[in-house]
Amino acid sequence: MSTMLMLGAPEAAAEAPAGDGGGDEYEAVEGIDRETIECQRSCEAVAARKTASDYEHIVWAYGVLWSLFAIYGLMLWRRGQRLQGDVASLQAKLGRS
Amino acid sequence: MGRLIPVVLLAIAAVVFPLSVETIFLDVGIERQLGTVQKIFYFHVPLAWIMMLYGVVCGIAAAVQLRRQSRGAEAIAIAAGEMVIVAGLGVLITGPIWGHASWGKAWTWDARQISTGLLWLVFVAYVLVRRYGAAGSERLAAALAIFGAVDVPIIYYAVKIWKTTHPSNEVVVSLPPEMWAALWPALGALLATATALVAIRARQELCEMELDDAWVRAEDPSVGTKGETT
Repeated sequence: MSTMLMLGAPEAAAEAPAGDGGGDEYEAVEGIDRETIECQRSCEAVAARKTASDYEHIVWAYGVLWSLFAIYGLMLWRRGQRLQGDVASLQAKLGRS
Repeated sequence: MGRLIPVVLLAIAAVVFPLSVETIFLDVGIERQLGTVQKIFYFHVPLAWIMMLYGVVCGIAAAVQLRRQSRGAEAIAIAAGEMVIVAGLGVLITGPIWGHASWGKAWTWDARQISTGLLWLVFVAYVLVRRYGAAGSERLAAALAIFGAVDVPIIYYAVKIWKTTHPSNEVVVSLPPEMWAALWPALGALLATATALVAIRARQELCEMELDDAWVRAEDPSVGTKGETT
């Protein structure tokens, strides 16, 4: 009898049940062999690492992008404040003269 | 009316931006060859378009200002020039981040990268000359802006003329509809934000020019509206 391997319970499927007249009805479970599982796990790990790295890059890219716009917006707001101050001091000067 | 335009554009961006993020991260699928990192495309490409658009706007406005001495054109040229720097910096940072993830190298010195870097440097020079240049340097600045605008078609055709690591221009044209559905909102949000900032900056520049004149007139009432003695 060939040894079968099941994901999560490798020992459980190894032997056929004894007696109870079920001999003819017994059908071995066709599981996935260890090499295939290890190969899949390894591929999944590579894909997970790639996805995590990709998201890290995306977060950096979007963060930089919107930070640039926010910094420029802040600079414009400060410039606006300075202009308002300038207008106020001009008005004060004209009021004095 | 002029004051309302930036407010309306920023309100549009505030509505469209969450929709764009939702479409990019939840609706559109993962591109088979490049993987998840391809999602940078939806902001990197519109940003590059905005950079090129305002490069051309700045060049045209600078040419108009050079010919007609128009204050409006001068203000638009300065505001557009600054937007080229902001958007260009975004392109020059997000591009290498994407390149690092998908090509394994952030900067490959390909023709499109070099021409984009050149455009950015030209507009940095333009803004510096405008800000710190002596009297009469507006003509040099305008020439720089026109030179920068000429670089825009070079960026576009770089992938056709030279062998580059960037994909061809046809890639964007042949995108599947679901990718276009994700690209439009991102473009809309960024373009609305960029245009609102350009409108605010242009208005500030006009205000600054008028304020300068007002100060000169306040100091010496015999001086005319554009600084000339009457």
